Amino acid sequence: MAVNAEQLAQDLKSIVGEDYVHTDLFERVNYADTSLPYDVEEGDLPDVVVHPSNAREVSEVLKYANQRKIPVTTYGSGTSLMFGTKPKHHGITISTERLSSLEINVEHQWLECGAGIKTGQVIKELGQLGYFLPIQTQIGSSVGGAIGVNTLGHLTDNMFGGRPISHILGLEVVLPSGEIIETGSKCLRRPAGWDLARIFIGSEGILGIITKVRMVLTPMPETTDAVGFFKTVEEIGHAVGMMYREKFPLPMDGELVGEKACKVGYEALDLDFPEGALAITRSMGRTKEDATENAQEMVRLFNKAGATKAFILDDPEIAEKVWRVRENAMRWGQERGLKGYLAIEVNPTLPRLAEAMTELSHITEGRTDLIGETEAYLYGHVGSDSLHCLFAFPYDWPTDKMKQVVGEIWNLEKELQLKYDGVGGDWGWLPYRVPFFREKYGETAYGIIKKMKQLFDPNNILNRGNLEGEA
Amino acid sequence: MDEEQREENIERDLNEALIACEKCHFCNTVCPVVDTRITQGPFGINRAIYYAIKWNEFNEELRDLVYSCSTCGKCDIMCKKVSRALPLTELIEKARELLLVEKEAGPMPEQVGALKNMHVRGNPWGSPSHERTKWAEGLEIPFASKDRHVDVLYFVGCASSYDSQGQKIAKSLSKILKKAGVNFGILENETCSGHEAKRMGETGLFAYLSEATMEMFKDAGIQHIVTGDPHSFYSFTHEYPEHGNGLKVQHYSQFLNELIEKGNLKLSRKVNKRVTYHDPCYLGRHSEIFEEPRDLIQRIPGITLVEMENARADSDCCGMGGGRMWMEPPQGLLSSQAIAERRVLQALATGAEILLTACPFCNITLNDAVKSLEKEETIKVVDITELISMSL
Repeated sequence: MAVNAEQLAQDLKSIVGEDYVHTDLFERVNYADTSLPYDVEEGDLPDVVVHPSNAREVSEVLKYANQRKIPVTTYGSGTSLMFGTKPKHHGITISTERLSSLEINVEHQWLECGAGIKTGQVIKELGQLGYFLPIQTQIGSSVGGAIGVNTLGHLTDNMFGGRPISHILGLEVVLPSGEIIETGSKCLRRPAGWDLARIFIGSEGILGIITKVRMVLTPMPETTDAVGFFKTVEEIGHAVGMMYREKFPLPMDGELVGEKACKVGYEALDLDFPEGALAITRSMGRTKEDATENAQEMVRLFNKAGATKAFILDDPEIAEKVWRVRENAMRWGQERGLKGYLAIEVNPTLPRLAEAMTELSHITEGRTDLIGETEAYLYGHVGSDSLHCLFAFPYDWPTDKMKQVVGEIWNLEKELQLKYDGVGGDWGWLPYRVPFFREKYGETAYGIIKKMKQLFDPNNILNRGNLEGEA
Repeated sequence: MDEEQREENIERDLNEALIACEKCHFCNTVCPVVDTRITQGPFGINRAIYYAIKWNEFNEELRDLVYSCSTCGKCDIMCKKVSRALPLTELIEKARELLLVEKEAGPMPEQVGALKNMHVRGNPWGSPSHERTKWAEGLEIPFASKDRHVDVLYFVGCASSYDSQGQKIAKSLSKILKKAGVNFGILENETCSGHEAKRMGETGLFAYLSEATMEMFKDAGIQHIVTGDPHSFYSFTHEYPEHGNGLKVQHYSQFLNELIEKGNLKLSRKVNKRVTYHDPCYLGRHSEIFEEPRDLIQRIPGITLVEMENARADSDCCGMGGGRMWMEPPQGLLSSQAIAERRVLQALATGAEILLTACPFCNITLNDAVKSLEKEETIKVVDITELISMSL
């Protein structure tokens, strides 16, 4: 780095103001920490955390950093499950938290928001006007981060016209050079040919910093939930296949919980549900009657697929408990004194979903590596053919051992994705899935992305280390 | 246990709890103190504590973060609902104890005086102790003692004893109790319950004050306490040695409902007002008393009760709890006034003419916020007892 940390902070204060530049230890720790099971080390910390309030300030910070080749890590909310916000080379962390404007324009039928606003806030404000955000990530995540990964969270692919990329009317982006560009327009028609927004959506922050997002409004659907209890999780896998093949109305959101996670979940919540696995779905419709009719179809599907019990969740209290079994799947390890965890995402092709479930249900058995010492819990999505497996292990494992098991788990995910012909899923690629990307798509494909990075960011200042796969 | 051992135990307890944090950030999404930075919320504060212990780094920045929490407990509910069920507020208080007692890094400089005053004068404002019962002059309220038996002790609390806004609560409640024919009294030498000392991490002072208070109750032969101070109420019922040792302790909302049900208290005069109710954190979330105040309000003839966007367990904080009454957060952290103004804006959105509460702290803070928003003509902040006394 060309300037020392003290000078750096001083210079940045002249851009964003005294109150919005932080160099104290705990501020830097908080912006470096991720949900990785092991702790941040001093080498992971940024030199300075800066909080710009608009694109112009972001631009000035990037110009400054680019001239001096100072690495810049972008921070939206720090909730990424790929942990890309951990700086790999110190430098500046730019938080987008102050980019939190929101305009819901019913006349024009779009919303425009700052990249740092939390999805929970947008969901709430849209809901008050009868609209829906087709990005259902956790409520503390930032819109900019979700667009940067092109994730829709728990929603079923295609139910609302696909991933966020299909809803974006325009973006404001600051390039590493500090130049600010705008894409799209304020009309509802999106360009059919070149649309620069598409280069940045899903680019995981390596080409530019998204500062503003314009999205088309989506009317709030009516919904009805249904649940199915199965003897084994594999039966749910067959049900999902049947749902697509037999043209059942897809749920907008649907979750499954494997036998082991259900057992500890029922115990923790004191639920008297049938033993085995469960599937819960949220069906939608323009009217409540439509939604309930679609939910009844889910009940019919579950029964046809061998459910021991299936019904519409018309009691809100029971519905909440069932959703909590899924939401708290990550907590069950702790109930057994296993506090550390890491989850993976596997997206098998539809015909092999049940087979993948079987494999994941027994994934730790007979292994001689550290994964064999973990406790694994299976859960996933009913709407899409997407599975998660959570590996829980004692948190008092030494850091080196933690790092080793994390490495083993990512490698296992890679092997499973290759075996079942999956993709990166909803969490993005960078940095941990770079080896998978290279193996699945080859060096030519990886090289294209590297060339794009070189074109946009010749000094490699933005999120340095992520495309390189540095952990 | 020696000092070194105690310090090690606190650090060990904090570490064992915080190591389990899932780092999901859900707690921050409900924190009223968070402005924009992740560090300002329970997630950021607790991570800071975790790394401070790990790296043995206890500095002013850490102190400022740890003492910025209003201990409202909203994060605890979120963590229990969707994550690891960590007692985040309790952990922050434990960290305050570590900073204050063991590291000599706490409390906030402005809080030092409040703690000294609690110790020396029995109230955080440092008002003369002989003026504590001045509000009751002319009201003919007896002092409870061994020789003057009362069925019910009205524990007034510091804010209602000394603050002019709080004194309205003391006077209203006394008027109601008299009207209902309750044989009640106050303590001539009532002292601070110590609740706020505990919030600031001064656990030694809390132990001293709680023992002194229990001794006073014992000397006066007290069996039944009614209070209008949710902070003291919480300490009596959850934190005092053996939780009050068999004493019956009630918030007035519980007791007045009982009096009405027994026919001892009649609310006959109509009060045609549209009101909303702010749940005080230590009555609502911490003590789980949500319905009694609402039941009481709705017994007043003519009242229309409307709820704010955040109510009951989801209620937002007034911003003054957790020792914040005696400090102004350092630059870059959200002020109590800003937090209270947010709450008043929620109340205004209901169209209510009156913002009711049942805590002198909330009363003082929300009143100030109404003034700073220049909405005195639109909405008034009133304690439930004041409305009840209008209906007698």
